[in-house]
Amino acid sequence: MVHYIGVILDESRLAKIKGTPLEEKIQDLFGGQLKMLVVEVPEEKSQEILKAFDRARIDSRGFIEDLPVAFKRALFEEIAKAKSLDVIDKVLERLPEIQEAAKKESEYIPPPEIE
Amino acid sequence: MAKLNMPPPHGGELVYRVIEKREYAESMAAGAIEFDLKATTDPNGVPIRHVYREIISVCYGFFSPVEGSMTQNELERVLEERRLENGWVFPYPILLDVSDDDLKALDVKEGDRLLLKLKGQPFAVMDVEEIYKIDPKDVATRTFGTPEKNPEVVRQPFDEKHPGWMIYRCMNPNVIAGKWTIINPPKFREPYDRFWLPPAECRAVIKHVKKWRTCIAHQTRNVPHTGHEMLMKCAAYTGDIEPCHGILVNAIIGAKRKGDYPNEAILEGHEAVNKYGYIKPSRHMVTFTLWDMRYGNPIESLLHGIIRQNMGCTHHMFGRDHAAVGEYYDKYATQILWSEGIPSFGFEAPPNEVDKGLKIIPQNMAEFWYCPVCGEIAYSENCGHVKQKQKFSGSFLRGMVAEGVMPPKVVMRPEVYKAIVKWWKVFGYPFVNNKYLENLNKELEIDLAPMEIPKA
Repeated sequence: MVHYIGVILDESRLAKIKGTPLEEKIQDLFGGQLKMLVVEVPEEKSQEILKAFDRARIDSRGFIEDLPVAFKRALFEEIAKAKSLDVIDKVLERLPEIQEAAKKESEYIPPPEIE
Repeated sequence: MAKLNMPPPHGGELVYRVIEKREYAESMAAGAIEFDLKATTDPNGVPIRHVYREIISVCYGFFSPVEGSMTQNELERVLEERRLENGWVFPYPILLDVSDDDLKALDVKEGDRLLLKLKGQPFAVMDVEEIYKIDPKDVATRTFGTPEKNPEVVRQPFDEKHPGWMIYRCMNPNVIAGKWTIINPPKFREPYDRFWLPPAECRAVIKHVKKWRTCIAHQTRNVPHTGHEMLMKCAAYTGDIEPCHGILVNAIIGAKRKGDYPNEAILEGHEAVNKYGYIKPSRHMVTFTLWDMRYGNPIESLLHGIIRQNMGCTHHMFGRDHAAVGEYYDKYATQILWSEGIPSFGFEAPPNEVDKGLKIIPQNMAEFWYCPVCGEIAYSENCGHVKQKQKFSGSFLRGMVAEGVMPPKVVMRPEVYKAIVKWWKVFGYPFVNNKYLENLNKELEIDLAPMEIPKA
């Protein structure tokens, strides 16, 4: 069964994929207030991801959620580099590095600068 | 339809077992055998329940008519029929369990008085009625049911992955039964103190300050997104000749799991809903109850009904997967209980239609989602654009928050998000992590004033 990972696009991420074929794949959520790319993940790869990150889970929509921020960042980096959504193998090659970054994340994530 | 009024407390009288006067408190404790309350821990030593939360909820009347740790007969009746010895409905065993070593060291017998201490200070007393043994695994399994005995709603056997089952499974094998009385009233730390409204006070506020004739309860242990807000608003359209006058948000505050939002953000997130006018403060109030959630879906919904009836609510909203974790129960188990009953759990009819049952009226609700075709948050039983629906996913929202992306206001109100960020800055993390748990388990939600107990 195919699962999905949603990559949220803020303004800086949108700028990085401007003019690429990825623009056509952007999905609007919540009346266009949120933009997202959806990466398909085959069953065996999603199991590999769930095994690597103990808090990750598949929600009722079939999306893999509660992934470390480091994983989501690496996923977007690979997408922007390849200008394609077919990058899950590339991300899995970086698992040790992502797991290392995720360990630090479990104790501290810098808060956003808002009032 | 006749106009509704505030229902009586469950069991008829509100329990209030708190001694405020210091001299009486001291004299009650004089000569009592001292016992330091301990957390129940899982096999890894992680605290998963602390009995002081139950003592506070019992003594301030949230669990009326329960008055203390249950006797063996009462425990049996709760497990078999979900009834107390006096016949009133009650879902869960409430027990003061102690280890073999502690029992030996205490050298306590029926008729003795125990002084229960917390954070090194006197906290409560109990007169020992009975001491008996339990098989914690048996209590755990009978509390939640099995697919064989409760085929209407139990879908898979309970096991170590279920946090509520683990609470009972990890209890000590000895129970000391008897009524509890708090002799050193707890002082809630910030921001809990602003939301502490025990049943007697809550009833008075609803009646005389808010002047709500009808009030619907909302159960929470989450920061609210707009799906929750819409659930509250729409469920409150029920009532009698007019929609409910008030919405009482009652957060369950207790043992936390990694990845949950901090208690502080949950309370202030809900408060932001009324503070910033999404539901007027004259119609919306945030409170909490101390309880280490058992995630018992239909069983838990009975306790929620009792707590909120005792707080003065006329109605209670119940959603799909109410107080659930995993797939142990049918998704609609709570709604089945409140619409037709669950005979194997002792309910041939809904719990508000049986003798000595609850008086609170259930409002079973389906789902809310965002519909891009309707251009609004839609109720699943109204909206026909099922293919286009965009569901509110708590974990999707958590992911967005962790990435530092402010959720769009159609999903989460900016002021609610700011409440998350406020506590993120305090704890260095937006969710519960090891550090938060260590701190909560050390500091608790309360402080106790120093108290000297005279020798007998």
